[in-house]
Amino acid sequence: MIVGEQKPIAEIKAMVAPYNKVLILGCGTCVKTCFAGGEDEAAVLTSALRLAFKKDGKNIEIETQTIERQCEDGFIKESAAAVSRNEAVLSLACGAGVQDMARRFPVTPVLPGVNTTFIGVLEKQGLFTEECLGCGHCELAVFGGVCPVTRCSKKLLNGPCGGSRDGKCEISPDTDCAWQLIIARLTALGQMDNLRTYIPPKDWRTSHAGGPRKLVREDHII
Amino acid sequence: MNTPFKPKITLFHCINALSDKDALNEMGSDTLELKVVKLPCSAMVKDIFLLRAFETGADGVAVMVCPEGTCRYVEGNIRAQKRVAWVKKLLDEIGVGGDRLALHNIPHGDIAEAVRIINQTVEQLIESGPNPAF
Ligand code: SF4
Ligand code: SF4
Repeated sequence: MIVGEQKPIAEIKAMVAPYNKVLILGCGTCVKTCFAGGEDEAAVLTSALRLAFKKDGKNIEIETQTIERQCEDGFIKESAAAVSRNEAVLSLACGAGVQDMARRFPVTPVLPGVNTTFIGVLEKQGLFTEECLGCGHCELAVFGGVCPVTRCSKKLLNGPCGGSRDGKCEISPDTDCAWQLIIARLTALGQMDNLRTYIPPKDWRTSHAGGPRKLVREDHII
Repeated sequence: MNTPFKPKITLFHCINALSDKDALNEMGSDTLELKVVKLPCSAMVKDIFLLRAFETGADGVAVMVCPEGTCRYVEGNIRAQKRVAWVKKLLDEIGVGGDRLALHNIPHGDIAEAVRIINQTVEQLIESGPNPAF
Protein backbone atom coordinates (compact mmCIF):
# COMPACT_ATOMS: atom_id res chain seq x y z
CA MET A 1 0.00 0.00 0.00
CA ILE A 2 0.93 3.66 -0.31
CA VAL A 3 1.91 5.11 3.06
CA GLY A 4 1.45 8.77 3.87
CA GLU A 5 1.22 11.15 6.79
CA GLN A 6 -1.18 14.05 7.26
CA LYS A 7 0.50 17.44 6.88
CA PRO A 8 0.81 19.67 9.95
CA ILE A 9 -2.40 21.59 10.68
CA ALA A 10 -0.65 24.96 10.31
CA GLU A 11 0.42 24.11 6.74
CA ILE A 12 -3.07 22.86 5.83
CA LYS A 13 -4.68 25.91 7.41
CA ALA A 14 -2.48 28.26 5.37
CA MET A 15 -3.34 26.38 2.15
CA VAL A 16 -7.11 26.56 2.61
CA ALA A 17 -7.21 30.06 4.14
CA PRO A 18 -7.79 31.92 0.82
CA TYR A 19 -11.09 30.07 0.22
CA ASN A 20 -14.55 30.49 1.76
CA LYS A 21 -15.90 27.04 0.95
CA VAL A 22 -13.68 24.00 1.09
CA LEU A 23 -14.30 20.29 0.57
CA ILE A 24 -12.12 17.98 2.65
CA LEU A 25 -12.04 14.77 0.64
CA GLY A 26 -10.89 11.58 2.34
CA CYS A 27 -9.74 8.46 0.51
CA GLY A 28 -10.91 5.11 1.80
CA THR A 29 -8.06 2.84 0.71
CA CYS A 30 -4.29 3.16 1.45
CA VAL A 31 -4.26 6.44 3.40
CA LYS A 32 -7.17 5.18 5.50
CA THR A 33 -5.11 2.17 6.58
CA CYS A 34 -2.18 4.36 7.63
CA PHE A 35 -4.45 6.83 9.50
CA ALA A 36 -3.59 9.75 7.23
CA GLY A 37 -6.71 10.40 5.18
CA GLY A 38 -9.64 8.04 5.71
CA GLU A 39 -13.10 8.91 6.93
CA ASP A 40 -12.03 9.29 10.56
CA GLU A 41 -9.07 11.53 9.75
CA ALA A 42 -11.19 13.66 7.41
CA ALA A 43 -13.72 14.19 10.22
CA VAL A 44 -11.04 15.06 12.78
CA LEU A 45 -9.33 17.48 10.40
CA THR A 46 -12.66 19.14 9.58
CA SER A 47 -13.44 19.66 13.23
CA ALA A 48 -9.93 20.92 14.03
CA LEU A 49 -9.95 23.39 11.12
CA ARG A 50 -13.41 24.69 12.00
CA LEU A 51 -12.22 25.37 15.54
CA ALA A 52 -8.97 26.94 14.31
CA PHE A 53 -10.71 29.34 11.90
CA LYS A 54 -13.48 30.15 14.34
CA LYS A 55 -10.84 31.08 16.90
CA ASP A 56 -9.38 33.52 14.33
CA GLY A 57 -12.85 34.94 13.69
CA LYS A 58 -12.84 33.66 10.11
CA ASN A 59 -15.91 31.91 8.82
CA ILE A 60 -14.96 29.15 6.38
CA GLU A 61 -17.56 26.60 5.34
CA ILE A 62 -16.06 23.14 5.37
CA GLU A 63 -17.78 20.13 3.86
CA THR A 64 -16.45 16.59 4.27
CA GLN A 65 -16.75 13.50 2.11
CA THR A 66 -14.79 10.28 1.76
CA ILE A 67 -14.73 8.21 -1.40
CA GLU A 68 -13.35 4.71 -1.83
CA ARG A 69 -10.38 5.78 -3.97
CA GLN A 70 -9.23 9.07 -5.50
CA CYS A 71 -7.01 7.33 -8.05
CA GLU A 72 -9.90 5.85 -10.02
CA ASP A 73 -12.37 7.75 -12.13
CA GLY A 74 -15.33 5.52 -11.21
CA PHE A 75 -15.03 6.56 -7.57
CA ILE A 76 -13.98 10.17 -8.23
CA LYS A 77 -17.32 10.78 -9.96
CA GLU A 78 -19.05 10.33 -6.61
CA SER A 79 -17.41 13.52 -5.38
CA ALA A 80 -18.47 15.68 -8.36
CA ALA A 81 -21.53 17.24 -6.68
CA ALA A 82 -19.61 18.15 -3.53
CA VAL A 83 -16.69 19.51 -5.58
CA SER A 84 -19.05 21.78 -7.51
CA ARG A 85 -20.43 23.25 -4.25
CA ASN A 86 -16.96 24.30 -3.06
CA GLU A 87 -14.21 26.69 -4.13
CA ALA A 88 -11.36 24.26 -3.43
CA VAL A 89 -10.70 20.66 -2.48
CA LEU A 90 -8.28 19.57 0.21
CA SER A 91 -7.50 16.01 -0.80
CA LEU A 92 -6.35 13.55 1.83
CA ALA A 93 -5.30 11.01 -0.82
CA CYS A 94 -1.74 10.18 -1.87
CA GLY A 95 -0.10 12.31 -4.55
CA ALA A 96 -1.61 10.13 -7.28
CA GLY A 97 -5.11 10.72 -5.93
CA VAL A 98 -4.55 14.48 -5.69
CA GLN A 99 -3.41 14.59 -9.31
CA ASP A 100 -6.25 12.43 -10.58
CA MET A 101 -8.70 14.76 -8.83
CA ALA A 102 -6.97 17.77 -10.41
CA ARG A 103 -7.22 16.12 -13.82
CA ARG A 104 -10.95 15.48 -13.40
CA PHE A 105 -11.78 18.95 -12.09
CA PRO A 106 -9.69 21.29 -14.25
CA VAL A 107 -10.97 24.58 -12.79
CA THR A 108 -11.03 23.64 -9.09
CA PRO A 109 -7.84 23.96 -7.00
CA VAL A 110 -7.01 20.56 -5.47
CA LEU A 111 -4.65 20.88 -2.50
CA PRO A 112 -2.61 18.09 -0.89
CA GLY A 113 -3.38 17.42 2.79
CA VAL A 114 -1.03 14.45 3.04
CA ASN A 115 2.70 13.93 2.53
CA THR A 116 2.98 10.74 0.49
CA THR A 117 5.97 8.86 1.79
CA PHE A 118 6.49 5.31 0.54
CA ILE A 119 5.22 1.92 -0.67
CA GLY A 120 5.14 -0.22 2.43
CA VAL A 121 3.37 -2.53 4.82
CA LEU A 122 1.76 -2.43 8.22
CA GLU A 123 4.53 -4.32 10.02
CA LYS A 124 2.70 -4.26 13.33
CA GLN A 125 0.00 -2.10 14.91
CA GLY A 126 0.99 1.53 14.40
CA LEU A 127 4.23 0.74 12.54
CA PHE A 128 4.52 1.13 8.78
CA THR A 129 7.74 0.25 6.98
CA GLU A 130 9.03 0.88 3.48
CA GLU A 131 9.41 -2.29 1.40
CA CYS A 132 9.53 -1.39 -2.30
CA LEU A 133 10.90 1.52 -4.35
CA GLY A 134 8.94 0.57 -7.46
CA CYS A 135 12.19 0.04 -9.39
CA GLY A 136 10.39 -1.53 -12.33
CA HIS A 137 12.47 -4.73 -12.41
CA CYS A 138 11.80 -6.89 -9.39
CA GLU A 139 14.57 -9.23 -8.27
CA LEU A 140 13.05 -10.44 -5.01
CA ALA A 141 13.35 -14.09 -6.14
CA VAL A 142 17.15 -13.86 -5.91
CA PHE A 143 17.08 -12.20 -2.49
CA GLY A 144 14.65 -14.57 -0.83
CA GLY A 145 11.87 -11.99 -0.70
CA VAL A 146 13.78 -9.19 1.06
CA CYS A 147 14.51 -6.15 -1.12
CA PRO A 148 18.03 -4.71 -0.82
CA VAL A 149 17.18 -1.98 -3.33
CA THR A 150 14.75 -0.52 -0.81
CA ARG A 151 15.87 -1.83 2.55
CA CYS A 152 19.68 -1.76 2.35
CA SER A 153 20.73 1.82 3.06
CA LYS A 154 23.43 1.55 0.39
CA LYS A 155 21.31 -0.43 -2.07
CA LEU A 156 24.02 -3.12 -2.19
CA LEU A 157 23.13 -6.02 -4.49
CA ASN A 158 26.00 -8.44 -3.89
CA GLY A 159 26.28 -8.87 -0.13
CA PRO A 160 26.57 -6.72 2.97
CA CYS A 161 28.95 -3.89 3.71
CA GLY A 162 31.23 -3.92 6.75
CA GLY A 163 28.80 -1.85 8.80
CA SER A 164 26.38 -4.64 9.64
CA ARG A 165 26.39 -5.21 13.44
CA ASP A 166 24.20 -7.64 15.37
CA GLY A 167 21.60 -7.61 12.63
CA LYS A 168 21.39 -3.83 12.49
CA CYS A 169 22.48 -1.38 9.81
CA GLU A 170 25.24 1.07 10.64
CA ILE A 171 22.98 4.02 9.84
CA SER A 172 20.90 3.40 12.98
CA PRO A 173 20.42 0.77 15.67
CA ASP A 174 16.67 0.97 14.85
CA THR A 175 17.20 -0.17 11.25
CA ASP A 176 17.51 -3.85 10.39
CA CYS A 177 20.39 -4.74 8.09
CA ALA A 178 18.62 -5.92 4.94
CA TRP A 179 21.52 -8.23 4.12
CA GLN A 180 21.29 -9.92 7.50
CA LEU A 181 17.63 -10.58 6.70
CA ILE A 182 18.44 -11.79 3.19
CA ILE A 183 21.06 -14.24 4.44
CA ALA A 184 18.81 -15.54 7.23
CA ARG A 185 15.98 -16.03 4.78
CA LEU A 186 18.11 -17.71 2.06
CA THR A 187 19.62 -19.99 4.72
CA ALA A 188 16.14 -21.00 5.88
CA LEU A 189 15.12 -21.65 2.26
CA GLY A 190 18.34 -23.56 1.51
CA GLN A 191 19.04 -21.07 -1.31
CA MET A 192 22.34 -19.50 -0.24
CA ASP A 193 23.72 -20.49 -3.65
CA ASN A 194 21.66 -17.62 -5.08
CA LEU A 195 24.42 -15.35 -3.83
CA ARG A 196 27.06 -16.98 -6.02
CA THR A 197 25.55 -15.25 -9.04
CA TYR A 198 26.91 -11.78 -9.61
CA ILE A 199 24.15 -9.16 -9.82
CA PRO A 200 25.15 -6.37 -12.22
CA PRO A 201 24.57 -2.72 -11.30
CA LYS A 202 20.91 -1.86 -11.45
CA ASP A 203 19.57 -0.39 -14.65
CA TRP A 204 17.61 2.54 -13.28
CA ARG A 205 15.93 3.30 -16.58
CA THR A 206 13.04 1.05 -15.54
CA SER A 207 12.74 3.18 -12.40
CA HIS A 208 12.03 6.86 -12.12
CA ALA A 209 15.38 7.77 -13.69
CA GLY A 210 13.80 6.80 -17.03
CA GLY A 211 11.23 9.60 -16.69
CA PRO A 212 7.52 9.30 -15.85
CA ARG A 213 6.39 5.71 -16.37
CA LYS A 214 3.34 4.33 -18.12
CA LEU A 215 1.74 0.91 -18.16
CA VAL A 216 -0.22 0.13 -21.28
CA ARG A 217 -2.52 -2.91 -21.41
CA GLU A 218 -3.71 -3.11 -24.99
CA ASP A 219 -6.04 -5.97 -24.13
CA HIS A 220 -8.02 -3.62 -21.89
CA ILE A 221 -8.24 -0.76 -24.35
CA ILE A 222 -11.27 -0.65 -26.64
CA MET B 1 -22.17 44.07 36.50
CA ASN B 2 -20.50 41.27 34.46
CA THR B 3 -22.07 37.82 34.73
CA PRO B 4 -19.41 35.51 36.12
CA PHE B 5 -18.02 32.98 33.64
CA LYS B 6 -19.80 29.66 34.00
CA PRO B 7 -17.63 26.99 32.34
CA LYS B 8 -19.21 24.40 30.07
CA ILE B 9 -17.68 21.01 30.70
CA THR B 10 -18.25 17.79 28.80
CA LEU B 11 -17.45 14.66 30.77
CA PHE B 12 -16.85 11.36 29.01
CA HIS B 13 -16.74 8.40 31.33
CA CYS B 14 -16.59 4.66 31.11
CA ILE B 15 -19.54 2.95 32.80
CA ASN B 16 -17.12 0.70 34.62
CA ALA B 17 -15.36 3.70 36.13
CA LEU B 18 -18.53 5.57 37.15
CA SER B 19 -21.96 4.07 37.20
CA ASP B 20 -23.86 6.44 39.48
CA LYS B 21 -23.88 9.65 37.50
CA ASP B 22 -26.90 11.17 39.24
CA ALA B 23 -24.64 12.84 41.73
CA LEU B 24 -22.72 14.41 38.86
CA ASN B 25 -25.84 15.57 37.04
CA GLU B 26 -26.90 17.45 40.13
CA MET B 27 -23.58 19.26 40.38
CA GLY B 28 -23.67 23.01 40.94
CA SER B 29 -25.69 24.37 38.05
CA ASP B 30 -24.79 27.87 39.33
CA THR B 31 -21.10 27.35 38.76
CA LEU B 32 -20.94 25.13 35.68
CA GLU B 33 -22.83 23.54 32.81
CA LEU B 34 -22.07 19.84 32.78
CA LYS B 35 -22.79 17.43 29.94
CA VAL B 36 -22.21 13.79 30.77
CA VAL B 37 -21.55 11.20 28.08
CA LYS B 38 -21.29 7.62 29.29
CA LEU B 39 -19.52 5.03 27.22
CA PRO B 40 -19.49 1.23 27.48
CA CYS B 41 -15.69 1.33 27.52
CA SER B 42 -13.22 4.23 27.55
CA ALA B 43 -11.69 2.85 24.32
CA MET B 44 -14.74 4.38 22.62
CA VAL B 45 -13.48 7.90 23.31
CA LYS B 46 -12.69 8.74 19.71
CA ASP B 47 -10.69 11.82 18.71
CA ILE B 48 -13.68 13.20 16.87
CA PHE B 49 -15.95 13.03 19.94
CA LEU B 50 -13.48 15.07 21.96
CA LEU B 51 -13.11 17.67 19.21
CA ARG B 52 -16.85 17.87 18.58
CA ALA B 53 -17.36 18.68 22.26
CA PHE B 54 -15.14 21.74 21.79
CA GLU B 55 -16.73 22.52 18.43
CA THR B 56 -20.14 22.64 20.08
CA GLY B 57 -18.99 25.03 22.75
CA ALA B 58 -17.34 23.13 25.61
CA ASP B 59 -14.73 25.16 27.47
CA GLY B 60 -13.19 21.99 28.87
CA VAL B 61 -13.45 18.25 28.43
CA ALA B 62 -12.73 15.63 31.08
CA VAL B 63 -12.34 11.92 30.40
CA MET B 64 -12.70 9.58 33.38
CA VAL B 65 -11.36 6.05 33.08
CA CYS B 66 -10.48 3.17 35.38
CA PRO B 67 -7.04 3.03 37.02
CA GLU B 68 -4.27 1.52 34.91
CA GLY B 69 -4.24 -2.26 34.91
CA THR B 70 -7.91 -2.53 35.89
CA CYS B 71 -9.71 -2.02 32.58
CA ARG B 72 -12.42 -4.62 32.14
CA TYR B 73 -11.46 -4.83 28.46
CA VAL B 74 -7.73 -4.90 29.31
CA GLU B 75 -6.49 -1.92 27.32
CA GLY B 76 -9.43 0.47 26.88
CA ASN B 77 -8.06 3.04 29.31
CA ILE B 78 -4.60 2.93 27.69
CA ARG B 79 -6.18 3.62 24.30
CA ALA B 80 -8.19 6.48 25.79
CA GLN B 81 -5.03 7.91 27.31
CA LYS B 82 -3.20 7.83 23.97
CA ARG B 83 -6.12 9.44 22.11
CA VAL B 84 -6.42 12.18 24.71
CA ALA B 85 -2.67 12.87 24.39
CA TRP B 86 -3.05 13.06 20.58
CA VAL B 87 -6.01 15.45 20.74
CA LYS B 88 -4.27 17.62 23.36
CA LYS B 89 -1.42 18.08 20.87
CA LEU B 90 -3.93 18.97 18.15
CA LEU B 91 -5.67 21.50 20.42
CA ASP B 92 -2.30 23.12 21.14
CA GLU B 93 -1.54 23.29 17.41
CA ILE B 94 -4.80 25.07 16.60
CA GLY B 95 -4.45 27.45 19.53
CA VAL B 96 -7.47 26.22 21.52
CA GLY B 97 -5.14 24.86 24.21
CA GLY B 98 -4.45 21.25 25.10
CA ASP B 99 -4.79 22.00 28.81
CA ARG B 100 -8.57 22.25 28.32
CA LEU B 101 -8.67 18.47 27.92
CA ALA B 102 -7.60 15.98 30.58
CA LEU B 103 -7.83 12.29 31.33
CA HIS B 104 -8.31 11.12 34.91
CA ASN B 105 -7.93 7.62 36.30
CA ILE B 106 -10.45 7.25 39.09
CA PRO B 107 -11.09 4.36 41.44
CA HIS B 108 -14.23 2.38 40.45
CA GLY B 109 -17.39 4.24 41.35
CA ASP B 110 -15.59 6.89 43.43
CA ILE B 111 -18.14 9.65 42.87
CA ALA B 112 -16.54 11.94 45.48
CA GLU B 113 -13.28 11.87 43.51
CA ALA B 114 -15.18 12.56 40.28
CA VAL B 115 -16.86 15.58 41.90
CA ARG B 116 -13.50 16.83 43.20
CA ILE B 117 -11.99 16.57 39.69
CA ILE B 118 -14.91 18.45 38.12
CA ASN B 119 -14.62 21.22 40.70
CA GLN B 120 -10.89 21.45 40.08
CA THR B 121 -11.57 21.62 36.31
CA VAL B 122 -14.01 24.50 36.92
CA GLU B 123 -11.31 26.41 38.82
CA GLN B 124 -8.77 25.81 36.06
CA LEU B 125 -11.21 26.93 33.37
CA ILE B 126 -12.10 30.09 35.27
CA GLU B 127 -8.40 30.89 35.13
CA SER B 128 -7.99 30.00 31.40
CA GLY B 129 -11.25 31.66 30.34
CA PRO B 130 -13.81 30.53 27.75
CA ASN B 131 -13.15 28.36 24.71
CA PRO B 132 -11.28 30.79 22.39
CA ALA B 133 -13.28 29.60 19.37
CA PHE B 134 -16.46 31.12 20.85
S1 SF4 C 1 13.44 -5.17 -6.45
FE1 SF4 C 1 12.40 -3.32 -7.17
S2 SF4 C 1 10.27 -3.90 -7.51
FE2 SF4 C 1 11.21 -5.54 -6.29
S3 SF4 C 1 10.75 -4.97 -4.16
FE3 SF4 C 1 12.74 -4.10 -4.66
S4 SF4 C 1 12.32 -2.00 -5.37
FE4 SF4 C 1 10.39 -3.15 -5.41
S1 SF4 D 1 24.66 -2.46 7.25
FE1 SF4 D 1 23.37 -3.83 6.00
S2 SF4 D 1 21.61 -2.53 5.40
FE2 SF4 D 1 23.15 -1.13 6.20
S3 SF4 D 1 24.25 -0.49 4.40
FE3 SF4 D 1 25.38 -2.28 5.18
S4 SF4 D 1 24.55 -4.05 4.14
FE4 SF4 D 1 23.11 -2.34 3.79
